Amino acid sequence: MSALTTAAPGAPVVDLDLDELRRDPYPAYARLRRTAPLAWVPSVGRHLLTRYDDIVHAEKLAEVFSSREEGSLLLRTVGKNMLREDDPDHRRLRGGAEPPTRPRQVRDLWAGTFESTAHRLLDRIAARGEADLIADFAEPLAAANLACVLGLRNATADDIAGWSRAMMAGNSNYADDPDIWLRAARATRAIEEAVAEIAETVRREPDGSVISSMVHAPEPVALSEIQNNVKVIIGGGVNEPRDVFGVGAWALLRHPGVLNRVIDEPTLWKRVFEETARWVSPIGMYPRQLTRDYEIAGVKLPAGSRVALVIASGNRDESVFERAAEFDIDRPHRPHLAFGGGPHFCMGAWVARHEVSALAWPLVFNRLKALRLTDDPADHLDGWVFRGLTSLHVTWQAA
Amino acid sequence: MPTVIFQSPDGTERKVTAESGTVLMQAAVANGVAGIVAECGGNASCATCHVYVDPRHTDLVGPPNDVEDEMLDFTAAERRPTSRLSCQIQLSDALDGLVVHVPEGQV
Repeated sequence: MSALTTAAPGAPVVDLDLDELRRDPYPAYARLRRTAPLAWVPSVGRHLLTRYDDIVHAEKLAEVFSSREEGSLLLRTVGKNMLREDDPDHRRLRGGAEPPTRPRQVRDLWAGTFESTAHRLLDRIAARGEADLIADFAEPLAAANLACVLGLRNATADDIAGWSRAMMAGNSNYADDPDIWLRAARATRAIEEAVAEIAETVRREPDGSVISSMVHAPEPVALSEIQNNVKVIIGGGVNEPRDVFGVGAWALLRHPGVLNRVIDEPTLWKRVFEETARWVSPIGMYPRQLTRDYEIAGVKLPAGSRVALVIASGNRDESVFERAAEFDIDRPHRPHLAFGGGPHFCMGAWVARHEVSALAWPLVFNRLKALRLTDDPADHLDGWVFRGLTSLHVTWQAA
Repeated sequence: MPTVIFQSPDGTERKVTAESGTVLMQAAVANGVAGIVAECGGNASCATCHVYVDPRHTDLVGPPNDVEDEMLDFTAAERRPTSRLSCQIQLSDALDGLVVHVPEGQV
């Protein structure tokens, strides 16, 4: 079934300005949830699905809401990969890649390295008394941790972060800028080389990493498949933990009472994590394509229709989360959608939970005394497909 | 077609009938049983379809598999010896009458 690049008959059409969405998508989402919970948005070229219940319904119906979206920029950037596959191929690839990201593996295999990396990054800035916690801490930490879990011993944190940025620019290159394609292609070639080298090594000496796990998977995974899936993991694996870290740190600095409670009661870091991911979801939406005619949110969509599941909107749905626009770690526990749902439930969820809520936040708030914001981070919130702080400038009392 | 009973923390019961060969989590989700979230849709990667098997039935249901055993360390509600992930319990006629208890929370 080829993709339909126009509105389904009967679907409301809503014009949204992409620059405005990037600055702050939430007012538009609130309008859509109220008046057009499934709407064709010409600038996005997809129907946006914005209510919590509809999104959950679609996520769990993977045989109708297929991940094989034709013409996706992600496919163009990295090639065939598990994010844009359905089962059984998705299951085979995910099954090969997932074991090292499971929570016990994270605790037993990776946590020690994560912690020493975090300390090293803080050692570098501690005496300065000021930093951009995104560029100086969260991004290099996420990148180094990713290199560790993937098994890319031949890549630096700077390599990983640079590759990730170049591919993310490709994934959102709606303007078809040739320079962006060139940079993305350079990054993906570099990743292919790095993965090929490591795959050769771990074939002889397994090391528990994602690449090693894929090389030795019970259901065979080809080298090109390992390469493409590593690209996808690098594409998303830097910005998502980085952005949860940044937004959550900002929220705590704005709510000192909450921060003090969490420092006294460290089990609350988990709540901070889940509430941050709900409040400003690092991934705002992802695309699906219908395998057959299907009615959702009152609109009959024909097979081939493109639908964006706007999880950032579902996470602000007032019918599920009261005062949804507020950051509130004490709200009733309801499952948020930030990790997606169904077979594509975020593979990095347990890695991110550990590195951000068990490690990065507690270390930063314990080591950097009297931490203060030096400007308004709200000015540095950016993005709607992916959203986070582009910088988080702070000062502290240097020892 | 086995019938299973989900008992919620407040004591209310939901009786659900499902096809043999399907998993317990699907029976819960398809019938809207409160308290079974199942974010990952049955792949043992999210730990949000946690149940306590009634002590009378633990032998019948059996112990968790390796992947599940790991995930059970990370459930929102406390792990008990009777803890299982409902997505890993395959239903059969032998499990007709199974009683499971839904925990206080999944997230």
